[in-house]
Amino acid sequence: MRPLRNPQGKPLVLALVTGLYILWSIVPVAIAILFAFNNGRSRTTWQGFSTRWFTGSTGSVMHDPALQGALKHTLILAVICVGVAVPLGVALALGLQRWRGRGGGTINTVMLLPLVTPEIVMGVALLLLFLRVFPGLGLGTEAQAIGQITFTISYVVVIVRGRLTSIGREYEEAAADLGAPQRDQLLRVVLPLLAPAIVASAAVAFALSIDDFVVTQYLSSDASTTTVSMLLYASARGAPTPALNAIATVALLITLATLALAFVVYRRFAGGREAASVAALEV
Amino acid sequence: MEGEIKLEGLTKRFEDVVAVDGIDLDMPPGEFFTLLGPSGCGKTTTLRMIAGFELPTSGRIVLDGSDVARVPPHKRSVNTVFQSYALFPHLDVADNVAFGLKYKRLTKEERQGRVRAILELVRLGGFEKRKPSQLSGGQQQRVALARALVLAPRVLLLDEPLGALDARLRKDLQVELKAIQHDIGITFVFVTHDQEEALTMSDRVAVMNNGHVEQAGSPREVYEEPRTSFVANFLGVSNLLDATAEADGDACSLSVGDRAFRAEQGATGARGDVKAMIRPERIELEPHGVAGQNRLPGMIEQAVFLGGSHEVHIRVLGGELLKATIPNDGRPQAVVLEQGSPVTVHLPAAGLRVLEPSPQPAESAAEAADRPVSTAPSM
Repeated sequence: MRPLRNPQGKPLVLALVTGLYILWSIVPVAIAILFAFNNGRSRTTWQGFSTRWFTGSTGSVMHDPALQGALKHTLILAVICVGVAVPLGVALALGLQRWRGRGGGTINTVMLLPLVTPEIVMGVALLLLFLRVFPGLGLGTEAQAIGQITFTISYVVVIVRGRLTSIGREYEEAAADLGAPQRDQLLRVVLPLLAPAIVASAAVAFALSIDDFVVTQYLSSDASTTTVSMLLYASARGAPTPALNAIATVALLITLATLALAFVVYRRFAGGREAASVAALEV
Repeated sequence: MEGEIKLEGLTKRFEDVVAVDGIDLDMPPGEFFTLLGPSGCGKTTTLRMIAGFELPTSGRIVLDGSDVARVPPHKRSVNTVFQSYALFPHLDVADNVAFGLKYKRLTKEERQGRVRAILELVRLGGFEKRKPSQLSGGQQQRVALARALVLAPRVLLLDEPLGALDARLRKDLQVELKAIQHDIGITFVFVTHDQEEALTMSDRVAVMNNGHVEQAGSPREVYEEPRTSFVANFLGVSNLLDATAEADGDACSLSVGDRAFRAEQGATGARGDVKAMIRPERIELEPHGVAGQNRLPGMIEQAVFLGGSHEVHIRVLGGELLKATIPNDGRPQAVVLEQGSPVTVHLPAAGLRVLEPSPQPAESAAEAADRPVSTAPSM
């Protein structure tokens, strides 16, 4: 008799392709990070390890006013974006969950549109809005914040609604049954149960804001509204120094740290499968 | 005495599905009242209307004399034990139990005292600081019970509270629940699809089907005197016969094919096409060839020895298959209980019952409407 092949044998080809893909996607990032620590002005020739582009006295992230300003502006936008998009998104998710009448489906679709609309379309549309429809607002920090909030809110709604659906109505009914009026049903039961989703959506909103380029670029006004992503784009083709790699590394670390925090918090309270879906949303 | 519920013409429609179709029920104070029926019969919807989670389409829910059909759930003095318990996962046992006490005017000491006392009652003293996820199913069930009972409701609603437990624990908790109900003396409205549970625990059972109450009465009544074929079949095993009824004194003469039987039970005033039933334990087997009223020849198709009794399937002349339970009473059997034996089947007139037709089902069958998704009035 012929020996049977183990159908669960190691899928060598699959492993190879996966390995190559991971290598391909990580190597450029790793090299970029590596050259942030180059002890020289080159971004292509290694001249020894140094942290001069992070902390050095000239042209470093800590001391170059342009880099400093971009980093600060990026963080300010991110904080505004989280501060507005998360409460609004949670409220919207709660409302949509209860809305069973006519129009609920339409609102639902509209809420999800920003997730599938190409960002460039969104950016152009928002630009026209601020230039022609609300010229009083003008471009700048406010416009950038409103633009970012517009699309991050959808992510918040999706994450919070997912959690609301998995929680179900029974806890609210139990609270009502035990005598809690509506306000207490929300404060004593629903919001505590939603906490992991709220933390996760805040982290995702934060990361989206830091990463965003298209919308933020379109709605910027002068140099004071330059973010890290805009700075990277503008100077990458000029006369770049490893300081750009350094600031990109800092932005990347902030993003990764926020997402890792969100993942840990979410998994701790809501189980692994949903956490994976939150992580996947970010990609 | 408090805790009396009257349902009057209670109806719940979900779009085009009628889940509960105009039911009238009296639930006397202090009784263990069970709503029994298959899934989709409307029992859970009825319970949810009493709790306040569903707004009735029409009808009244009268609690101790006042109609509460439109009162939001947090203002009704009824409490619920949910099927999946719905214990708040972010609170420990003591905080779960104390959740509703916040809305009673009590001092902190009184609150703590009541939590302690009720946890003793359900034998969970010492579990105060545990989280629900650290408890077994039976313990969670007891916390859910304590959380509802600590508020001293006039009526306690229980939605299949034993459904998620294994058979042994279920039996223990049936006894315990009945004992607690007896001790505190409040009205329990219990929903189940398990006929044995309903018969052993209840003072009164309402058998529901298709949004209607088919019959309400003591467990003994609904088992011994089923009014409809649905009730006869849902509670225990019964043999059903299609027959034509005619008058025969104060009893009734049933024609089944070309044979006639005298029936003394049930709707003996009915005429025309009816269904008749007899319980397997009421059928008697006599030796082949015995003639007489309500007797007909048959052949044993299957005989199973169950220890305390024999379960016998008999194919009778005319083609029907009857199930009979013959007690193992130690005396010699009148007939040989094995496959192929010819016998005479006796359907005693005192055991033969004429049934009424079931109430007409709602226009579209209320399938899957037992736990519908819908908005509750309060949220």
